Amino acid sequence: MEPDVSIETSAMIRVAVLPIGHIPTPLLRDYTSMLLRHDAVSLSAISSFYTEHQKSPFAHQPWDSGSLRFKFVIGGSPPSPWEDFQSNRKILAVVGICHCPSSPDLDDVIEQFGVKCKGCASALVRRCFAFCPSDTQLEDGSKKDSNFKLFPPADRQTQEFHLQTMMQDIAASLLMEFEKWVLQAESAGTILKTPLDSQANFNSEELIKAKKRRLGRAQKTIGDYCLLAGSPVDANAHYSTALELARLTGDYFWYAGALEGSVCALLLDRMGHMDPELVDEVKYRYSSVILHYRKSSIQDNAQRVSPLSFELEATLKLARFLCRRDLAKDVAELLTSAADGAKSLIDASDRLILFVEIARLYGKINYQRKAAFFSRQVAQLYLQQENRLAALSAMQVLAMTTKAYRVQSRASVSEHTLDDDVGQGSANGGKVLHQSIVSLFECQWSTLQMVVLREILLSAVRAGDPLAAWSAAARLLRSYYPLITPVGQNGLANALANSAERLPSGTRCADPALPFIRLYSFPLLSSQVDIVKRNPSREDWWMGSASSGPFIYTPFSKGDQNDSGKQEVIWIVGEPVHVLVELANPCGFDLRVDSIYLSVHSGNVDPFPVSVNLPPNSSKVITLSGIPASVGQVTIPGCMVHCYGVVTEHLFRDVENLLLGAAQGLVLSDPFRCCGSAKLRNVSVPNISVVPQLPLLVPHIIGGDGAIILYEGEIRDVWISLSNAGTVPVEQAHISLSGKNQDSVVSVAYEAIRGSLPLKPGAEVTLPVTLKAWQLALVDPDNAGKSGSGITGRHHKDGNSPMLVIHYAGPLTNSGDPTANGSAVTPGRRLVVPLPVCVLQGLSFVKARLLSMEIPAHVSESSPIPAFGDCNSTKEALSSECKLERLVKIDPFRGSWGLRFLELELSNPTDVVFEISVLVQLENPIADNNNAIDHDAVEYSCPKTRIDRDYSARVLIPLEHFKLPVLDDSFFLRDTHSNGVSTSRSSSFSEKNAKAELNASIEKLISKIKVKWHSGRNSSGELNIKDTVQKALQESVMDVLLPDPLTFGFRLVRDGSSDAAGRDMPTLSMIQVEKTASKGSMMANEVTPMEVLVRNNTKETIRMCLSITCRDVAGENCTEGANATVLWSGVLNGITMEVPPLKETKHSFSLYFLVPGEYTLVAASVIEDANDILRARAKADSPDEPICCRGPPFHVCVIGTA
Amino acid sequence: MATTACFIIVSRNDIPIYEAEVGSAVKREDVAHLHQFILHAAQDIVQDLAWTTSAMFLKAIDRFNDLVVSVYVTAGHTRLMLLHDSRNDDGIKSFFQEVHELYIKIILNPLYLPGSRITSSHFDTKVRALARKYL
Repeated sequence: MEPDVSIETSAMIRVAVLPIGHIPTPLLRDYTSMLLRHDAVSLSAISSFYTEHQKSPFAHQPWDSGSLRFKFVIGGSPPSPWEDFQSNRKILAVVGICHCPSSPDLDDVIEQFGVKCKGCASALVRRCFAFCPSDTQLEDGSKKDSNFKLFPPADRQTQEFHLQTMMQDIAASLLMEFEKWVLQAESAGTILKTPLDSQANFNSEELIKAKKRRLGRAQKTIGDYCLLAGSPVDANAHYSTALELARLTGDYFWYAGALEGSVCALLLDRMGHMDPELVDEVKYRYSSVILHYRKSSIQDNAQRVSPLSFELEATLKLARFLCRRDLAKDVAELLTSAADGAKSLIDASDRLILFVEIARLYGKINYQRKAAFFSRQVAQLYLQQENRLAALSAMQVLAMTTKAYRVQSRASVSEHTLDDDVGQGSANGGKVLHQSIVSLFECQWSTLQMVVLREILLSAVRAGDPLAAWSAAARLLRSYYPLITPVGQNGLANALANSAERLPSGTRCADPALPFIRLYSFPLLSSQVDIVKRNPSREDWWMGSASSGPFIYTPFSKGDQNDSGKQEVIWIVGEPVHVLVELANPCGFDLRVDSIYLSVHSGNVDPFPVSVNLPPNSSKVITLSGIPASVGQVTIPGCMVHCYGVVTEHLFRDVENLLLGAAQGLVLSDPFRCCGSAKLRNVSVPNISVVPQLPLLVPHIIGGDGAIILYEGEIRDVWISLSNAGTVPVEQAHISLSGKNQDSVVSVAYEAIRGSLPLKPGAEVTLPVTLKAWQLALVDPDNAGKSGSGITGRHHKDGNSPMLVIHYAGPLTNSGDPTANGSAVTPGRRLVVPLPVCVLQGLSFVKARLLSMEIPAHVSESSPIPAFGDCNSTKEALSSECKLERLVKIDPFRGSWGLRFLELELSNPTDVVFEISVLVQLENPIADNNNAIDHDAVEYSCPKTRIDRDYSARVLIPLEHFKLPVLDDSFFLRDTHSNGVSTSRSSSFSEKNAKAELNASIEKLISKIKVKWHSGRNSSGELNIKDTVQKALQESVMDVLLPDPLTFGFRLVRDGSSDAAGRDMPTLSMIQVEKTASKGSMMANEVTPMEVLVRNNTKETIRMCLSITCRDVAGENCTEGANATVLWSGVLNGITMEVPPLKETKHSFSLYFLVPGEYTLVAASVIEDANDILRARAKADSPDEPICCRGPPFHVCVIGTA
Repeated sequence: MATTACFIIVSRNDIPIYEAEVGSAVKREDVAHLHQFILHAAQDIVQDLAWTTSAMFLKAIDRFNDLVVSVYVTAGHTRLMLLHDSRNDDGIKSFFQEVHELYIKIILNPLYLPGSRITSSHFDTKVRALARKYL
């Protein structure tokens, strides 16, 4: 069988092209390609070379339209035994090609050519073309053989023209030779034999038969020559005769041959006029051809040589003729029947040719899978011949099938077709439609793919192509590892290793092998070197692009994010970057990745390779790093992997698609899941851009970076040094606080950093920060007992510590790069310095209580030291010692009642001793009036209380100084609200208001009290007493704060001057009683004139009914009853008085004590026509209730003898 | 029962979603591969032929050596392909029809993703039983 046959083959003159002497392959290819262009020489062109020696047998030669066709056989071919049967099988001309510079001796060339021509006995014309001769050769050669043609060196066009002329010459010579042959055959006749009838010569009967047949056969052969001479009409005439004769003699084989020739003549005659009738005619005649060939093969069944190949060739010729998409069905039928014939073909190379042709024809009608099937059959036939060249052919044929079986090497795939669509899909929606995923895995016949790949591997190994073998093994292992047994996997690994040994190091392959690599995460920059986009139009530039709303997520911003695509990452020139990738080795052998690094297509990042060992069935997350080298966008589609001696690129997208397919059940297995790695959402590669260098602040806490261990409430200064480790100065910096417990940072020296700007590279600035330890939550008491070092780590993790956030930036514009876009402002940076505060439990409150006690005042005639802030006694106000005295020691003569104490119970669970001091800060209400006092607050402090470890102690804080001076309207309003008896406003509003007011007043009160502590280790701090005190005060704050509407006081009257003093009395909750010379004691049996002073603390006049009682130690009324021991003058009961607002009224009376001893004087009054304010203060329930006001008891000491 | 029979369901995306060697011959791996190769190649013919007829059963549409490919194309263009060496058209037709019913039941499963592999062992058992019955 012959390859590439078609109906027109019968009309082609076979020309052998033989290289003479040594010719470099590219040159030979060049020369032959010039020659091959002349496969048809028109008859009109050769007429000048043609001389008619005798009358031409080709009477109907179409000189104007016809042509001679050539079929060039490069290297020649051995003579076919069938060449008598089909003249086109004969080699009718020989063209030698010689490259003169490599064969200097032309005589030698001519000799060689002569030898080679002997192999082609049938050749009618011989020519040898010598290209590029030297001048001497040119002189020599022109004298030599006429068949030896020299092509003088010239440009290509000239050479081509020269060659064309030579071909026309050859064509004319051939035509003349054909004429000669035909004339000879017609006259003398020839003996034409085929292998079919070679043995028949001995049989006489056969001999007679053969004689009969000879004529028909001669006619057929003449027809063949007519066809070759380009005269279809003549050919047809001869063929008709031949058909007739062959039919008569039953020479079916020759009949079929003549019929075939007649079809070819028909086609040549109607060249260019294809119509359906012609197609039908050809189809009809050719089916008859096939039928007759079959008939002949049945007839000659017994013979050794079968004409089957002619039948198959005829089938292929018809198929090629019909080979159009719309006749695909006919073609497929023909090819199927041709394929059936393959079994009967004895010669393996015939079968090979048959399958090649079938595959080509199927490919032509776009039956790619059929073509692939037969290609694979071809490859198997090649593989059966155990030699290297056949294996190479097998490999190449299999490579052609990979497209149909979807196992292409990536090198041969034109990418960006399917992959890009899907890539975009996933980028846009994040969720790829199921359909498009399916389309990714279309036509995945895994069984077939594995077989094909295995065959490619086998053929590549046999052919000695290590790269192809590596690629096939890699594809096989990567795609089908779940279907391969561990032994097989090992085998493939060995194949990879063996191939790699034969490859030069650093070989690249388009097909990745193992491991599977997916993007694990793109670690954002650490908080130490975070990058913030700069908004140059704003003062607070770091706020620029962040969403300004209070919400972390806003539905409005979502659209924007989608438009901008993915997350954005900024890298900085010269600063190392990291990317986490996960590797998986799902196979059963140890995988050693010699080096893996990021594949940066944009080329502006220098990646660092690392090497990894992956045990069987394992996955590993590794960090890949690199250093950005230049400014611009960075694209990282995958990793470069050097594994098994070959460098491959592993794209993240492939694995993503694979995982998607695995999720949909389309792929066999997910390599990561089978390695036990958790399911991970798809991480897409963000948009990465590299920006020029930025300043880099490195923080350092002076005194060690360890945790700062503080007791609750402790105050300490910390120094943070910031140094610029970058290469660009810091020009802007701003410090803010974030994180939990922000209020624990008392102060930050903002000006320290501001003052040192710009901070040059290498410069350092120290930033003092004052910290106050916060209160530990009650829920983690286990922290208390532990040592500091143990807690440190935990506290960092808890993130309880506050953080200093420093936004800083370099110069606004990048002066170094003039091409940089003006709008692109170099970003700033954010440095987060966590203050590693570790708070230990310090003193703790057990409880706070409000204690009240009544201490009766002694009645005296002199005015004691005023409670506080007396404007007349400035020296007292300045003398703090005095005040300190008074705070803790209650002077009974000062006159005190209703004293309230805040008792704080503190315990010390720590292992150090604490000393507590209470400071009370008091406002000086008269400070505004009196310029003599320059400080508006006076501090009283109690003596220190020491609390040993594991002990508790109580601290008393007197609250007497907090009474307001006037029970006036405004306070009142507040007061009424707090009692919920609002008169004018709606209750809900007032209640709310009241609560706020109440809290405000409590807070005000608490803020005045400070509990400070010192511990032995030079640490000091303040206790946070707010909450507990607030709780304690909640109930009775009114009583603490508000003065009574009326205050009462008693005083001994000695002379009239005391009146004036009394009028100047301070307005606080105490009425001064003048003390006597004998410290307020009275003599018995003496008339003691006394005064009761009633002060109105309100802003309205109060009418009332005052009564005074005197009791003895037993509490019995001494002024009334049967055995009264005290006599009196004046009125003691039912005194009706009217006190003007904020004024005092006094009522004088005299007492005469009969018995010495201790007496108590109490004044009480019933307020008449009480207004709402008073009612509210008295917490009266009903408006009819009488409002009573009772003064504090006054102590009277009566001395003398009874 | 036929000595050689290879049954494959090919989804409309040309992915084999079910494959079974249902012949009685001793299974050999390379032969099984050849069967699949033949079936794969036959799809080229099916894709043309399916649009020329309204019948679902396309009969024997292709052959290679002694092996014949019969195809049944569902309305959703899922192809049930059988490679066989017997000439029992009626039996093959019944086989296809019953497998089609089974396939419809698989598709009705809301958890089955059309186009993905049929992994139901029940389906497999039933198909093999039908093969024994009809082929």
